[in-house]
Amino acid sequence: MSATALAARQSALVDAYLAKGYAADCGVIDLHGHFGPWPGIYMPNASEDAMLATMDRCGIQVLVSSGHTALADMALGNPEMATVARRHPGRWYAYLVCNPRYPGELEAQLASFDTEPAFVGLKLHPTMHDYPLDGPAYRPVYEFASERRLMILTHTWGHNELCGPEHLRTVAERYPDVTFLAGHSFHGEFDAGAAVALACPNVYLELTAAYSVRGLVERLVNLVGSERILYGCDLPWFDPHYALGCVLFAHISEDDRRAILRENGLRLLRPQLQKRGVTL
Amino acid sequence: MEGDYFDCNVAIGSPMAGLVGPCQTAQELLAEMDWCGVGRALVRHVLMKEHSPAVGNPALSTAIAGQPRLVGTWAILPPQTRELPCGADFFAAMRRDGIRALWAFPDEHRYLLNRVTFGRWLDEVAERRIPLFVARHSALRTEPSSMWRDLFALLAEYPSLTLVIAAHGDWGEDRYFRPLLDTYRNLYLDISRYQDDGGLMELAKTYGAERLLFGSAFPETPMGGPRLMLEHCAIGDHARALIAGGNLSRLLAEQVLV
Repeated sequence: MSATALAARQSALVDAYLAKGYAADCGVIDLHGHFGPWPGIYMPNASEDAMLATMDRCGIQVLVSSGHTALADMALGNPEMATVARRHPGRWYAYLVCNPRYPGELEAQLASFDTEPAFVGLKLHPTMHDYPLDGPAYRPVYEFASERRLMILTHTWGHNELCGPEHLRTVAERYPDVTFLAGHSFHGEFDAGAAVALACPNVYLELTAAYSVRGLVERLVNLVGSERILYGCDLPWFDPHYALGCVLFAHISEDDRRAILRENGLRLLRPQLQKRGVTL
Repeated sequence: MEGDYFDCNVAIGSPMAGLVGPCQTAQELLAEMDWCGVGRALVRHVLMKEHSPAVGNPALSTAIAGQPRLVGTWAILPPQTRELPCGADFFAAMRRDGIRALWAFPDEHRYLLNRVTFGRWLDEVAERRIPLFVARHSALRTEPSSMWRDLFALLAEYPSLTLVIAAHGDWGEDRYFRPLLDTYRNLYLDISRYQDDGGLMELAKTYGAERLLFGSAFPETPMGGPRLMLEHCAIGDHARALIAGGNLSRLLAEQVLV
């Protein structure tokens, strides 16, 4: 038997994660989190304290979340998510969830963004809200984000009639001042998603669930470069060590690993953190 | 723990379509196992599912011949059609080729995995304590409860069967499988797709680490994900060693292929 953990020999990050479960010199920036229980799945660690413990255990330095309750009910869930995140400045931030199905409430929710220090971006979920990413009811969201040069995390999926690659290309080209994070990297239609990222410099590919497709991390790095790829794991859905293991053991360079796990997310988050006097 | 990992769920071969990073040969698999620090693997061939097991089973035997770190599995078919050796002949062939576990692909091979179809044959599998692997996920089914209903019925008919439910979905399906863990002591879970944060620790503490098997579902999914997840699951080194490979080694040691 020759089980020699070659990856650890060639990567200080892998070595650190195998030894301790985190890398002190590479605090992870996770730009795709949630919070709270969910109807279709039992989540043992969905509470505030449990999520923080997971972040500590796995070396997640900063998490940005949209509340599960907010995805179901903006008025109820956005303040809840902000309250949780506000208790942990420098560690936990929030996306304001925008559901275009309720334009009046959406306007009220957007109006709360500027006065809530926990909010650092907006979150869209076209499939849950059953509304196309390039539909007109999202226009107030994009205009709001464009005026403030915000980042928007949107759920994307391949071969999807609401949030596929061409839907995002349309809005990314129309709103170049908005930074779009393509959640799940258009899962199942990865090459077309990579083409959108190449065509639109304001589009980043986020890895939640996509990381569990073997060879995908390597493929995206080859197609778009590691500087356009972001780490995320849907916490509290998925164990970050599972997600991190998929990235860490991928056959990519150490610089690529650091870019995906930390540097890219930090670069996107930094303008918002600087407004709050937070330096990472 | 390096090298003590025994992956219960890997495949080799060239799938017709669908994989970003297939693993075509035993040599490729061994290289990835070295990369991730996995010592041994229980292997199936993609042809066992994508083709007739009459072709896939011998393909697996040939592909891993002479590789002591790789342990073989075969797929089953209903005995009525006599496409595979039956009864004692089948088990003798398993012993001859070093095959230590079985897979069932009822959707892909279009049969019902139940007593009407398999009758005494699966009793003999159970008596010989041969692990039978069934993947919860099937591309042919979109509704998860459908497969779980079949597994509930299967275990009701064969309660002593050593059944391993593999790849049971990225969405934790505890509400389906925990009642089965409560009821059937020979039921095991492959953790390859069980990513729920905190789920693995809770399962091990509630049902015992003895019921869980390290798996990766490689090459559909990367080996490194479940490897790192288990490495740092807060269950203690003994429980971790059981899940990493101790349980699977015990299961294979307990079987009687005569």
